[in-house]
Amino acid sequence: MKFFKKNNTQAVDVSETRSGNAFQSSTGWQRFHSNRAARWSLRILFVLIFVGVFADFLANDKPIYCRIKGETYFPILKEYGIKFGWSKGDQAYFLRKWQQEDYEAVIFPLITYNAQQTDTPNGYLGPFDKQNVSSWRFRHWLGADHIGRDIAAIMVHGTRTAMLVSVVSMGIATLIGLLLGSLAGFFGDDRLRVSKPRLLLNLAALALGLFYGFWVRSFAISEGPVFLELLKSLAILISALLLANLISKAIEKRFLLSDNVPIPADMLVNRAIEVLHAIPALLLLLSAAALIKKPSIIYIMAIIGLLRWTGIARFIRAELLRIRNLEYIEAARAMGLSEWRILFRHALPNGLAPVLVAIAFGMANTVLLEAFLSFLGIGLPPESASWGNALQSARSYPQAWWITLFPGLGIFITITIFNLIGEGLSESGTT
Amino acid sequence: MFQYLLKRLLLFLPMLLIISFIAFGLNQCAPGDPVDTALEGSGVRPSAYMREYRQKAIALELDKPPFYFTLTTAAYPETLYLIMPKRYREAAGKLIAQHGNWPEIAAYFQQLQTFKSTLLGLPKDSSIKEQITTSLPVLEQLMQMHEASSINSALDSISLFLSQSPLLLQQSATAFEDLKQSYQRVSQKQSRWKLYVPAVYWHGTQNRYHRWLSDILQGDFGKSLKDGQLVSTKIKDAIRWTLTLNIAAILLAYLLSVPIGVYCAVNKGSKADRLISIFLFGLDSMPNFWMASLLIIFFTSPEYGMEFFRVLGPHSLTSDAGFWERLLGSVSGMVLPVFCLTYGTLAYISRQIRSSVVAALQQDYIRTARAKGLSSRLVIWKHAFRNALFPLITLFASVFPAALAGSVVIEYIFSIPGMGQLMIKSIQGDDWPVIYTVMLLASLLTMAGILIADLLYALTDPRVNLNNRKRN
Repeated sequence: MKFFKKNNTQAVDVSETRSGNAFQSSTGWQRFHSNRAARWSLRILFVLIFVGVFADFLANDKPIYCRIKGETYFPILKEYGIKFGWSKGDQAYFLRKWQQEDYEAVIFPLITYNAQQTDTPNGYLGPFDKQNVSSWRFRHWLGADHIGRDIAAIMVHGTRTAMLVSVVSMGIATLIGLLLGSLAGFFGDDRLRVSKPRLLLNLAALALGLFYGFWVRSFAISEGPVFLELLKSLAILISALLLANLISKAIEKRFLLSDNVPIPADMLVNRAIEVLHAIPALLLLLSAAALIKKPSIIYIMAIIGLLRWTGIARFIRAELLRIRNLEYIEAARAMGLSEWRILFRHALPNGLAPVLVAIAFGMANTVLLEAFLSFLGIGLPPESASWGNALQSARSYPQAWWITLFPGLGIFITITIFNLIGEGLSESGTT
Repeated sequence: MFQYLLKRLLLFLPMLLIISFIAFGLNQCAPGDPVDTALEGSGVRPSAYMREYRQKAIALELDKPPFYFTLTTAAYPETLYLIMPKRYREAAGKLIAQHGNWPEIAAYFQQLQTFKSTLLGLPKDSSIKEQITTSLPVLEQLMQMHEASSINSALDSISLFLSQSPLLLQQSATAFEDLKQSYQRVSQKQSRWKLYVPAVYWHGTQNRYHRWLSDILQGDFGKSLKDGQLVSTKIKDAIRWTLTLNIAAILLAYLLSVPIGVYCAVNKGSKADRLISIFLFGLDSMPNFWMASLLIIFFTSPEYGMEFFRVLGPHSLTSDAGFWERLLGSVSGMVLPVFCLTYGTLAYISRQIRSSVVAALQQDYIRTARAKGLSSRLVIWKHAFRNALFPLITLFASVFPAALAGSVVIEYIFSIPGMGQLMIKSIQGDDWPVIYTVMLLASLLTMAGILIADLLYALTDPRVNLNNRKRN
């Protein structure tokens, strides 16, 4: 019996190594694709992205196409046109009750509500309850919340919110993480050497850029359009740094400076990561979110992005620690390429694959965090369509199971597919 | 070993210092006025408001500069922090940011105060009382304005009120004219260049951060702004609940996950293993606040006929009952929260154990042990599991902070008065002394957890040399 079992496990192991060998020559993508769960997760992710992008055409109170009294309308497209300033519209167009018009022909979206629209007579009516609607077309298929907002519409527009938040905040996190992690990994503590004047000028430019870009402009940032003003501030900071480097280049040429100071890049980045790790992430997020005067999706994306870069930085650092000792890097150095060029053109692109794993898991984490913050009521504004907000509104009326079940299912599925993709990626990288 | 421990413990100090900067900096940026938060419950009469405010602000040491130095521009006065209340200070700051001429703005604020006291000092004659009561709120708002258009329209509406009564106009016209002229001077005599000249003011040790830090080093964590209770007592009350919940949850998770993980590893590839793995993966992705909400809906409300548990809440606790009495009385309320805290950890640890036992079972010494004729049970538990235990122990260090974080939302949903709920309530209510302390404490715990993990590494695996180990 004992031997039987042993043979059994061994057989499995052998077959596994064999299949591993068979795939040795295949690319990582092929290995990823052979993982059924990961493959299907990727497909579901595409569906979610589709739902997010076309949310307005899937759940909207206006028809996609209609004919009224001989005139043809495309209300949803028209709304886009007005929003982007391509076409003109008047207030009456928005106030029109599209659901009560007399149509000659009409194509409604799948869900005939948008996420904000209230329908008080149907408040707290479930999917199986009798609803006060004029036609089956206007049924709340997944029920309605306390003021009659359609749960199905919230699900669709919540997908858009979740995708937007996770993509943008992971984008910010990836940018910061890649930059700091590759500096730490590639240069280590002693390879990033700069001349003393360059170091001093850069420090001065950093201080001045922060002062004139952010501190002096703090009034403009708080009063004006936040995003645009922040971009201007960043531009000031970056141009200050560029100027400092141009000047120092000239100085270096003029005086032929050679006594360089090493910058302990690895140590600095590691200390920053350690500090961010020492404070429980949730606590830091909660207290950072408490600083927001007016909840907005931009702030949530920025906060999550600025706090969640450490995982990516650690991955890329570990990868570059390995890559920087490879022969082709040495060859590039022997050819006289500059360190920065080697880093960004040759070392970094080869270290990107494992970062995808961190990004996938980070996406799952971000979806969870956004939902969590909204659930606590300090994330997105309460009127915006988000799964977390829906869960929050369900708390006051626990009998309405549909308000909890469906948005939670959305969060669950999104997190699961990101986790499966991450798992698939990490397996395709290691076997 | 001892040297290493000492070195790591010394590293705690700069880390805690940085975290104290972060906590203090967050507080400085927080919206909301701490004095108003503290005054909220006490029911201050509007007439005594300014005096009470000033007293409270001095009691909270808000009349001291926030930090050792202030970095600002030449346009701002050194003692901007002395303008009270905070909303006037913010308005003054924004006026300076627009015009850059603090002397004129100070004169304008002085005129506002003079005009207000002129209005208040007038005899409460019935004929002008109405005008005064309507113009006072406008004046109050005027003190918080910074945009030229809104200030001008507010001044216009005040002059309209004044012109309605000849008597009032006669008595307050000069003060109002002064006010208008002082604002005109603000907008005419601009010195915006000052906004681009940096200025640094040194305050010495008489500042809020220094006082706060030295208080903490002496074990005084301050008082809650909300109810004046000592922060340490508040935390002591709360931490008992959190610890009880989390210890129960972690114990349960470890007790269940070891057999599950080992079983799956031994029967790797079998149908049961695959099913359990999928199930665990699903559990791992299940947001615990969703799970908790669902459980509350289906198991605590009578709607669905499955009212097995009750929701614990402050209402079910009598404060005079002993701690254990309360605990026993609320066991039924603890089942669901403990479950919600357990399942995530359980899923995570089980998967870790599975993979580490699988790795151990492939080692040569297992084959040797089997070849020796040891029983399967002995091989698995004594040889494979023991060696797989190594990552398991170190997991504990990361599990503990994670569980603390997880209990934040669980406590909030089940209304358990633990650390998590304390934290959320303090953040929502701007109760910063509590937030500071919880943040420092939680960070200390997390760092201690990481240190313990590193030490356990060395203890369980003699191959690890702490002094030379490349940490990453």
